[in-house]
Parts: sequence; C-alpha cells; structure tokens
Amino acid sequence: MAGMSTQRIRDAGAGGNPGRPDHERDLGPALAQVARGDHRAFEVVYRVLAGPVYGLVRQVLRDPAQSEEVAQEVLLEIWRTASRYDPGRGSPAAWALTIAHRRAIDRVRSEQACSRREHRTAFDASSGDEVAEAVEASLDQQRVRRCLDGLTTLQRESVTLAYYAGYSYPQVAALLGVALGTVKTRIRDGLIRMRDCMEVTW
Amino acid sequence: MRAWRREWHELTGGYALDALEPAEAAAFEHHMSRCRSCGTEARGLRETAARLGVAAAMPPPDGMQERVLAATYRTRQLPPLISPEPLRTRRRRPGIRLSLAIGAAVIAAVLAVTQVITWQHLTTARASSQAVTAVLTAPDARIGTAAGESGGTVTVIASAAKHEAIITTAGMPALSGSLVYQAWVMGQGGARSAGLLGPAPGGGTDLILARGTRPGDRIGITIEPAGGTRQPTTTPLVNMPLPT
Repeated sequence: MAGMSTQRIRDAGAGGNPGRPDHERDLGPALAQVARGDHRAFEVVYRVLAGPVYGLVRQVLRDPAQSEEVAQEVLLEIWRTASRYDPGRGSPAAWALTIAHRRAIDRVRSEQACSRREHRTAFDASSGDEVAEAVEASLDQQRVRRCLDGLTTLQRESVTLAYYAGYSYPQVAALLGVALGTVKTRIRDGLIRMRDCMEVTW
Repeated sequence: MRAWRREWHELTGGYALDALEPAEAAAFEHHMSRCRSCGTEARGLRETAARLGVAAAMPPPDGMQERVLAATYRTRQLPPLISPEPLRTRRRRPGIRLSLAIGAAVIAAVLAVTQVITWQHLTTARASSQAVTAVLTAPDARIGTAAGESGGTVTVIASAAKHEAIITTAGMPALSGSLVYQAWVMGQGGARSAGLLGPAPGGGTDLILARGTRPGDRIGITIEPAGGTRQPTTTPLVNMPLPT
C-alpha cells in the first residue's frame, strides 16, 4: 500500500465520482431506507459512518469517554433526522460528518472555561499524531496527507487547527499570530487547493 | 460592492470547517440563500472537509454499535420537511419571484395587523398597529421565512435600524388548550420571550412585535404550557436567524 504511486491512487478513484470512496456509494439509498424506519438499513449506515464519526469527534475532543458519548449522540441523530438529508445539498458522508463536527465543537465551546483538552494539531508530526498511530494509513488518509503536504504551511496549519482542533477564526488567528483576514483567506485558499487535489466534485 | 462580495466569499472556507461564530454563520447562511456561487463553493468545500473527516476515522469502541442500535428502537424519527407549496407553483425569474414573495408576505403581515387591532391582547409586547406598520415600512426591513419542525411556516420581518421584528406564523399545527406557541428572541444573553402566538380567530395568522432585537439574534418558537414561560422549556420547533 505504501508503495502505491500517486498515479495509481488517482486511477483508483477515477470511476464516476472521483474523490468519493466506493464504500460510501451505498449510503444514499440506505439513508432513504433509514428515513422510513428501516433498522437493517441503519446497520449499513452505521458500518460506514461509525468509524469516521467517532474518529473525527475524538480528533476534536481527545477524551475517549467524551468522544464515545458524543459519537453515540451523533449516530442516533443520523437515525432521527435521516428524513432531513437532502441529496441535492451534499453527500451523505458530508451531511453526517457536519453533524459530528458541529456536535464536537458545541461540546468544546460549552466546556471551554474548564477545558482539559490538550491543544494539539492533527497531522503535526512533532506532536505524535494519535490518529496516525491508531489506524494503519488508509487510502483516504494517504490521499489527505499527500494533499495537505501540497499546501503552504500557513494554509495547512489554518485548515487543520480549524477542522481537527475545532478552533474558530479568531482562535486560529491568535494561535498563528496572524490577522483575522489572513486566516479567512488562507483557510479558503487551502481548502480550495485540497478540493482540487482530492478531485472532489460537487 | 466588489470588496463586500469578496469578503462574503472568503467565509466559504471557514463555514465549511465550522470556524465561524454562530452569528456570523447565520448571516452567511442567509447570504448563501441569495448567492448561488457562494452556495456551490461552500458545498464543495464541505465535501472536502468531509474527506478530512473520513481520513480521521478510528475503530469505534466495543459495544458502541449495540448501544446505538438499541437506542434507535427507543427513538422516534423526525418526519420529512414539506416545503410550502405556494412559492413553488410558478416558475419565474428569481428576482420577480422574490419580490412577489416579499409582496405576498408583507400583504399577509398587513392583514395580520388588522387582526392585531382587534386582538391586541394576544401580543404581550402590546404592539400598536403603528409600531408594526413602522417596521413593515422601514427602509431596511428584511424578510425571512423558516419551516416549522412539525409543519407550518414562520415569517420574520426585521428592521435592524429600529431594533424590532415582526413574527408571524401560518399553518402551524393546532395545539390542545393547555399548550401554546411562544416566540423567543435568542441572543448572546440567552432567550427572552417575544410573546405568545395564541390561536388566531378563524385560523388566521397571529402576529407579534419583538423589540430590542440585535444583529445576530435568532428567533425561536417553542411549545409551552398555556400562559407561557419565562424561559424556553422545550426544543425550538423553529430556530432562525434574524433576517439581514
């Protein structure tokens, strides 16, 4: 896997929906079934989404017990609100991970005063990234890492601090010691570059 | 104008990463509803963020699947949102449709004003018809609508300069006599009551004047015991930004 060339990674994702992994293909129909109260379809949704939801929440919150609690809430929310998923507005994974990310951030911001969270950034080699240690680098992960490497340092730090650490614009600006406007521009430019690098089409 | 546009557009990235403050996010969502390219870009960046999320996947803890699946059997699902029909029946150019929609809503609000004159007691804010008309005709009046969680729509007409907003509802499901819809202005200092949306005569639309609204405030509607409460005790059926 590690020896797979960039070209082959690109080819692997080139069928129909480049940038969208194959295992997510079943999600749309499954979600539609879930909206009608189908528990079996929800198991399919769970199998595909539980790992990303838990991993993302854990990335932001760090605390395993708290992450499990929030991830459970998020997955139940997916069950509860499946009828509100609108395919015209994004992929099922983006919908679900938006719920997960917002829930995690809500938890962080509501607890900010007594935060025991460590201030660390994902994909920061010097901080010994837990995610990288816990999971053997998947194809998704390799691709994201490669594309993150293509950003400028400021773009990469702005994007990862905002997304993986759950910081707001002003917090990212303060941490990086740059103007708010600079952070806004860098996050947008960085994400656009990531989008193009990962061939996300939407 | 150009600088203003660029400034809005720069928020697409932060919006996709949830890095905006709540009020800023609400304002941006409203902007996106009018700015097609912003919406398209924000969606693409949201998909990109999801790829970052998928890359952070970790094996979930043991037993989580059983707990979540068991919880689904105890959890009622939300019904699908039904979009209000009238605005969709005719296809026109967006600009015309928008002005028609605003016109219709303003007419509905003005009709409601005449109801208020006979039903003054319905509004705890004791809205006078002059005060309501003043908001309706304010040069900076902005209109926003949202669908209720269990049906119906809420329309809010707000004037930032006057710090006032009119709240009207239509087609909200009827409640038993012991319950009432209550409107809230939700801002940084928490939620404060804007008044009760009592049953309107003849199934018409009720109307409330909320005073002291500030940029970034949100309007919420909850179901409360008859007579209302000082603080919301249920999850809002509607939680919408003040239109800007």
